Formats: sequence, C-alpha cells, structure tokens
Amino acid sequence: MRFRLLRHDLHALAGAYALDALDRPAERDRFARHLSRCPSCAAEVRGFREVATAMAFAATAEAPAELRPRVLAAAARTRQLPPEVSSHGTHARPPRTRSRVPWVPWLSGAVALASVAVAVFFSLAQSHTQDQLNQARAENQAINAVLSAPGVRVLNQVSTSGGTAIVILAADRHELAVVTTGLPALPPGKVYQLWLIGQKKIVSAGLLPAAKAGQTPAVLATGVVKGDTLGLTVEPAPGSSQPTTKPIVALPLPI
Amino acid sequence: MNPSDSDASRLESAATDRRGERDLDDLLVHVARGDSDAFEAVYDRLVGPVYGVIRRVLRDPSQSEEVTQEVLLEVWRTATRFDPAVGGAATWVMTIAHRRAIDRVRSTTAAAGREQRSAEVHTPHDEVAEAVEASLDRERVRRCLDGLTEVQRESITLAYYGGYTYRQVAERLKVTLGAIKTRIRDGLIRMRDCLGVS
Repeated sequence: MRFRLLRHDLHALAGAYALDALDRPAERDRFARHLSRCPSCAAEVRGFREVATAMAFAATAEAPAELRPRVLAAAARTRQLPPEVSSHGTHARPPRTRSRVPWVPWLSGAVALASVAVAVFFSLAQSHTQDQLNQARAENQAINAVLSAPGVRVLNQVSTSGGTAIVILAADRHELAVVTTGLPALPPGKVYQLWLIGQKKIVSAGLLPAAKAGQTPAVLATGVVKGDTLGLTVEPAPGSSQPTTKPIVALPLPI
Repeated sequence: MNPSDSDASRLESAATDRRGERDLDDLLVHVARGDSDAFEAVYDRLVGPVYGVIRRVLRDPSQSEEVTQEVLLEVWRTATRFDPAVGGAATWVMTIAHRRAIDRVRSTTAAAGREQRSAEVHTPHDEVAEAVEASLDRERVRRCLDGLTEVQRESITLAYYGGYTYRQVAERLKVTLGAIKTRIRDGLIRMRDCLGVS
C-alpha cells in the first residue's frame, strides 16, 4: 500500500518535471531515474514536453540582430562533442531480442546479424574492468537498438584487399553498425578507419577494433545522412582526420 | 511504408504547426556533422522561440541574450547527442532553452529580481493574451490555456513562463503541494489533447 502511494506520488510529478518545476536537483534526478524504469511515464513526459514546446513557440520574440553573427562565430570556434553510444533516453526502448528484425530474404543477411551478435558478445567477453564492461554493455545496447530498429537493411561488400564488410543500416535512426570478417592483418602502426563520405565532407566514423578470430567487433556509426557512402581505408595509427589512402571498401548507403 | 511515418505525422499534427519539423530533424543531424550551413538554418528557425521563452522566464533582456547564446552554442556542441528517434528537434532545443533559463533563474545572482517579477507573473493569462496576435501557435496555445481551470492555467504558466517551482506555485496559489502536482499534470494532459499532441 505504501509502495503504491509512493509510486503514485512520483508519477504525479511528471508534469512538474516536464516544466522544469521540480524543487531541487535531487528531486529531478530521482524522477529522471524513475523515468528510465517507467516507459509510460517517459512517454507522458515526452508529450508534455511537446506542449511546453508549443508554449515556447507561442512566446516567440525577435532576438537582437547582433546575436546571430556572435553565435555563428562562437560556433565556428567551438568543438563539437563526439557522438555518444551510451546514456540518455535513446535506448530506453528496450527490445533487445532480434525478434523484431525483419526477416532478411538472403542468407548473408542472417549471417550478418549472427556475426554482429557474436561480435557484440566478444566485446563483452573481452572486457576486463568494470568500466570496460559498462562501456561494452552500452555499445551492445546501442548496437542492439540498431539491430532491432524497424526497417533495418543488411549490406555487404568484399574489400579490394580481401575480407568483407557487413553493414546493418537503420536509416530511420541515421545509424549503422559495421562488422568485418577476414580483413588482412595490418602491420604495426597501421589501423583500419571507417568514413562517412558525404557530398560535402568526409567524417571519420571511427577505427575498427582489433579482430578476434578474423572478425572485428561491431562498430556503431551515427549521423548517417542521405547521399553518404561508407568508406574503409588503411591509415597510420592512431587514425587520420581525413582519409589518406584509397578506400578498400566504398559502399553507398541507401538512406 | 516507412515505419517512422507514424512518428512524423504525429509530430506534424502536433501542437504548433511547426512546418517542416521533419526537415529540422534532418538539419540537426547535419549540424551534428559539423555542417555550419545547417547550423545557420537551425539558428534562423529557432532563435525566435528560444529567445522568446528565455526572455519570458528571465525578463532581463541582456541576461536573456546571454542565455540564448549559451543555448544555441550548446545546440551546436551537443547536436551529436540529438536522437530523432526520441523526439523532435524543436522539442530537444526548447527543452535545453527552458532548462538553461530555469538554471539561471534559480542561481543566486538572479534571485534578487524575482519579487519584482512576481507582480507581472501574477497575471500570466493576460501576458499570454497580450502576445497573441501574430501566429497560429499563439492562437492555439491561448485557446487551449483558456480551456483549463483557473488553477491549472495559473500553475502551468507560473511554472513554465514564470520559472517557479511547483512548491513556489503552491505557495502563491495557496494550494497544497499534492494538489498542485495534480493540477499541473491534469492541465498538461488537457493541453496535450487540445493541441493534438499524441
């Protein structure tokens, strides 16, 4: 009974939380923790935030003109955070099983999904410290979110130097996961690096981790947009800011 | 059929008739990749409501300008964390904007001006009405606020536009804490239905 009252009490805070009207940071944190365990509360808060957004739009005012050049100049000097695979609400929607993955009508698709699952398992098994384990779990979750996204597509391409890159593309999420099998081992001081090659610019999508049993653990790339091609190059360690060699994989992404 | 279409149409039919919500999501994904043109476009689309809501909470124009700059820079800096699967870009940005304004209001430096503001905030409904003319957003929000009970309306506007905590709102309106929590939540549920948010 007491438990029920408490829950109800907590739930009633959804409105105040969405309006940033909770009393103390501790109370806000407590409710945020509750949200991560209560999908219906999270959905309610999302709806309330849309109401709040409408209220913000209703308060639209003309900002001073001199603000624009100042903000744009400050942005040009400000470094962006790297994409994050862990934390926040992204993975609050939990389906971890692959049951929602649409059946892929060719064998390589099924093999690819299995490969990713194995690669994820490896990254967990290889974790030694708690931090590594947490990190691997977070990645695992992020990658599972890609695998279980509706409408994922499985693509693959044989690299020009041997081996295959397998890509699980979740177009709606603007995310993809990459595993490779059978890429040639690199000499010391060289790494495999992934790229998102867009029409206007090329951005790094991270390094391939070391292969285990010929297979690299899954890597997650975010911010995939229309017109991107996934590239893979060999770069001097610890990676380059722009590709310096010819891609051995260049896979146009149907997004 | 693209499974995200339902999300998109939900957002399109939502609250504020923010045309091109979907485009805004895509723009923000481009911002996350360091595209400064996309950032300019996001700035132009959202600076009005960002500045507007901050100004509403803080009142002071120069502080509002300062916080607006912080918020837009944060949008640039953290665009990599924006996840279109969780919610729309406008909501993501407005959530940051409002929270920053609130942080500023709760910080000790801003505490001084609060009593001054309270008289003005005491008639939030008029304030909303005052700003009505121009846009459909305003019209719809006003109409929906009008559909609330007085306590619901006052507690929501005091909390959101006035920057008060629900405890402060309870004190001002002389209602118990438990009642205020419920009024805010019930009011938001009605607003949500009225605005056509899912």
